[in-house]
Amino acid sequence: MRLRVDDTSCMGHGRCYQMAPDLLTYDDEGYVTIRGETIEVPADQVEAAEDAAGTCPEQAISLIP
Amino acid sequence: MTETAGHFETVEREAAGCPVMHRDFAPQQAAGCHWQLADELREASPVFFNTFAQGYWVFTRHDAVRDIYKTPELFSSESITPWQPDPIYRFVPTQIDAPDHIKYRRIVNPWFSPRAVDAAGPRMRALCRRLVEEVAPAGGCDFVSGFALRFPTEAFLSVAGIDPADADLFVPWVEDFFGGFSGDPAGLEPMAKALDGIREYWVAALAERRREAEPREGDLASHLLHSTFDDRPLTDAELLDMLTVLVLAGLDTTRATLGYLFQHLAVHPDQRRRLIDEPELIPTAVEEALRFYTIVFGDGRKVTRDAEFHGVQLRKGDMVYALVSGANRDPRAYERADEFVIDRQRNHHMGFANGPHRCLGMHLARRELQLAVQEWLRVIPDFRIADGAELSERGGGAMMSLTRLPLAWEVGS
Repeated sequence: MRLRVDDTSCMGHGRCYQMAPDLLTYDDEGYVTIRGETIEVPADQVEAAEDAAGTCPEQAISLIP
Repeated sequence: MTETAGHFETVEREAAGCPVMHRDFAPQQAAGCHWQLADELREASPVFFNTFAQGYWVFTRHDAVRDIYKTPELFSSESITPWQPDPIYRFVPTQIDAPDHIKYRRIVNPWFSPRAVDAAGPRMRALCRRLVEEVAPAGGCDFVSGFALRFPTEAFLSVAGIDPADADLFVPWVEDFFGGFSGDPAGLEPMAKALDGIREYWVAALAERRREAEPREGDLASHLLHSTFDDRPLTDAELLDMLTVLVLAGLDTTRATLGYLFQHLAVHPDQRRRLIDEPELIPTAVEEALRFYTIVFGDGRKVTRDAEFHGVQLRKGDMVYALVSGANRDPRAYERADEFVIDRQRNHHMGFANGPHRCLGMHLARRELQLAVQEWLRVIPDFRIADGAELSERGGGAMMSLTRLPLAWEVGS
């Protein structure tokens, strides 16, 4: 699975890195560091990634099987 | 909660398929009535036209509220109060649209980032602990004046590099300012005086810092003096507008959420016990409080051009009211929407709004709410609403907020 954060939708709510602290982290302004990027999700982080995507108030996170 | 019976007597006629009402949302009501009203409106119609004041559209459901937040090019923040299309105040960056909005936000975002909140965490915990330990031996207090007004104020001032003792000045100013939204014209003069007081405080603070060559460590006003916007320093008007809105937004909101969260915990001992046994659920419970007890009844916006939106024809200059409090309880968007689910997962609530204007202080507010629950339950694990207390809440004109919350508890030896 891959996880993508849409650059323009992400507003830095910070829910994703709260839900998936071992996968995602924040920058100096509170945005997730991988805005506009796609990352590979390790097998043991799939559930956390799904939690992060389901929690984003902006629906900025998409999961690609 | 019988006061809301008969709400739809105000719905006088149907115009172009859109129900019309004439309703002042501002007055004080019995506690909880605003959410009940938002629920009723949401289930009755996705949109109303309210003929109150100059008239404005009311959108009640999650999808439209979300679209209003996420379409700032159509919905300007120039006014955020639907019955005040031309307000006497100007909040920066709250009422600034693109392209300037993000430039202001970039100046203040780092100050309220998770990293900054982490750094302030131990200081805030100490402030919180001292307040809880002060009230604990009394066996009861008005939670609002005894704790909820004090803690966020002291925490904010501490984060901004201001002496927390100045909370004594800020608390009444913030009370008077938000009193001005009550719909009662008598509230407007105290509102204006409070604004003057806050601005004069910052004028003096800025004058003291202006002569200094280097920014003061951990001092927000000094940081702003040394910040630039498009390679120029911020103007005096910008500095004052920014500092003033930070005070108003930072102090009243957390206070209001604290009130409802602790009212909830007071009447749900099973859930309180669960948070003591499973403290890892405290952040989840805080998010659920932000969803279920959303203190912003609705968010106003001003329409920038003629457009069709969710089935109605909007005209340039129209005001819209996005009922976020009801949207966060919309069963179309949330399972068990009408329940406080203390371990709710994937809670994509809009309690801090949505889109580019999402709450700047959200990371700070969350931390304050979590600290308050942790420290309170550590010292006062069992508490209840004092016998005979009748709870009322300030109106939906600004933020809903319990005017008082008398709590009682047994004092151990």
